[in-house]
Amino acid sequence: MLEKLLFQSLIGLSLSMYLWLLAAGLTLVFGVLGVLNFAHGSLFMLGAYATFTLYGKLGLNFWFSILLSLISVGIIGAILERFFIRRIYEIDLPYQLILTFGFILVFDDLVKIIWGGVAMIPPMPSFLEGNLAILGRPYPIYNIFIIIAGVVVAIVLWLLLEKTWWGRMIRASASDREMASAIGINIPGLFTTVFIFAAMLAALGGALGTPVRVVAPGIGTAMIIQAFVITVIGGLGNLKGAFVGALIVGILTSFGILLFPVFELFIIFVVMAIVLLVKPEGLFGK
Amino acid sequence: MAKNISRRRFLKNAVVGGVALGTGLGSYRVTYGQAKKPAGPIKIGGQGAISGAHADYGWQMMAGATLAIEEVNAKGGILGRKLEMKFMDEELKPATAVKNARYLVTDWGADFLFGVDSSGSAMALGPVLAELNRLHFFCHAATHRLTEELVAQRGIPQIFRMVAPVYQDALAAWVFKDNPEIKRWAGINCDYEYGYVAWNLFKENIKKFRPDVEFVAAAWAPFWTMDFSSHIAAVMAEKPDAIFATPWAGEGVMLLRQALMLGVFDKIHAWWQGMGGSVDLLEGLSREIEGDKFKGKLWATARYIHNYPVSPENKAFVDGFRKRWGKYPNYSAEASYSTIYTIKAGAEKAKSLDREKVGAALEGIELKTPAGVRLIRKADHQAVYTVPAGRATKSPDYTIPILSDLRVIPANEYFRHPPFTPVAATK
Repeated sequence: MLEKLLFQSLIGLSLSMYLWLLAAGLTLVFGVLGVLNFAHGSLFMLGAYATFTLYGKLGLNFWFSILLSLISVGIIGAILERFFIRRIYEIDLPYQLILTFGFILVFDDLVKIIWGGVAMIPPMPSFLEGNLAILGRPYPIYNIFIIIAGVVVAIVLWLLLEKTWWGRMIRASASDREMASAIGINIPGLFTTVFIFAAMLAALGGALGTPVRVVAPGIGTAMIIQAFVITVIGGLGNLKGAFVGALIVGILTSFGILLFPVFELFIIFVVMAIVLLVKPEGLFGK
Repeated sequence: MAKNISRRRFLKNAVVGGVALGTGLGSYRVTYGQAKKPAGPIKIGGQGAISGAHADYGWQMMAGATLAIEEVNAKGGILGRKLEMKFMDEELKPATAVKNARYLVTDWGADFLFGVDSSGSAMALGPVLAELNRLHFFCHAATHRLTEELVAQRGIPQIFRMVAPVYQDALAAWVFKDNPEIKRWAGINCDYEYGYVAWNLFKENIKKFRPDVEFVAAAWAPFWTMDFSSHIAAVMAEKPDAIFATPWAGEGVMLLRQALMLGVFDKIHAWWQGMGGSVDLLEGLSREIEGDKFKGKLWATARYIHNYPVSPENKAFVDGFRKRWGKYPNYSAEASYSTIYTIKAGAEKAKSLDREKVGAALEGIELKTPAGVRLIRKADHQAVYTVPAGRATKSPDYTIPILSDLRVIPANEYFRHPPFTPVAATK
């Protein structure tokens, strides 16, 4: 039984990493900009579509396709922040929800117009095919790659935020926007870069999933609910919380499918409810 | 000829218009002063999933119906009247399906309805159809309850199902009953009615043939599952001999790809992918099938496969479809194509377009269709026709993989018959 659980948690771990990439950007934007971006999942979807087109359709190199996708979604993020999100920093939360929810619909329909509604599945890059024996059972190399990618992103994010000047500016403006502005930090510029960065994280999650997960309109919305659960569990605006939350959600989902197949969908919501009851600000929230 | 092209273009526009409406981009435009004149076209309203991971089915439905309408119109239409179609996106959401049906009948003026991919949408539509009083030909929704409960028991005469229902998935019991090495079965099934019923029907039937089989694990995947690896790992932990799976469309492709990644085909004797014979699955897995990654262990059926039966009707349909759309037809296309001809046959038999008369004329009718002879049963309005099962294989005769080593079991053997005994539609 222990081996079964261990193997299942390894499977869940790779699931967690896609969720982490999505939740990281979501929570970063909330923590710094104070905006709850419902359309964050759409950026994930756009990352998947861009990679599908470049890698699956045009046959470009896998890594180069991912890079180009990140850049293009980053540009879309810049436009979003500069022309739309920026206008709603000062107004009530419901307006943020309406605006960003509106973008979900816009992006879903744009994707349908450009790519059509049909699900698309590009081939797997051959160097990531195959599996290794772990605990006596075959484990996909691609999942190992995803886990490494997720951990690398976590480390890079941590270094960026804790060890660089840019990270210090972000932390300063997250804790007190006016004070940061008073000491000469260019807040609007910083917010744009943070938003671009978050968009690129979401796109990376989408891009990495293309060879193994389906590319279709709506995949962002399907993911964003889980990302919200993660940020609620971990604490909104907290990156460490997002990482731990993603681990919890991914691994519990995977356990649930093994142990309680009849009602596994409930489990993460039960966990979320317990967190909300016991520590409403989230595990790592302040 | 010029006339022909302009009609095609017109149809195409009608279809595109329908798509735009379905996506929510266009607003619902109500046109006044379009009261139906007797000489106007016969309006046929369709809907299916044309967005999301299952979108190919809705598209195929639209394509099959379009082809049939073009053919029928080229030969003068039905009782001298041309056909016109509008097709909408049901988004696999019951509420959307009901809204679409109301729009199609009340605002657009549809005389007949067809389509629908989701069983949930179909069940929600059933009672509404009685109210709208339009015959609806279901081309994909597979739940047994649509015909068993809503028609045979509750007597909603507007419902007809052209496509083989979930009985088809249970065909696995007949295919694998003589494989003594397969004793331990595991299921990876859709976490909605279709998956529950398919798995329950299969279990019930194989137990009759093989009291020694065990069902060692079951995992359930809802719509929008993108990662099946947890489901696969969970059932593989119980070391099954074979797997019975129902996820369809893009999700079926992903499931099988992820199963390959997890080395499943080294460990099992067989994998039954209920609707794996659908064109989009075979196409999506063509690299893997060509490379023999499944080691000949991937078995499937569908609600129609284009390489069966070998008949002039089927050949004409497949050739016509490929010429028109450059693709092979899947079962939702065959069902919608046959729907148009069924409406024609019903109207011509009744010598009228009156809905009650056409409905009555269709009860018990036998029709030659691409999928073979369809008998529309009187008691439940279910079309009965045989679809074989087979092994997913690359064939030099086709550009995409096909099902071969076909096992043909007569539909009468594996379809359920009225009066119906209940089947659990739960996990």
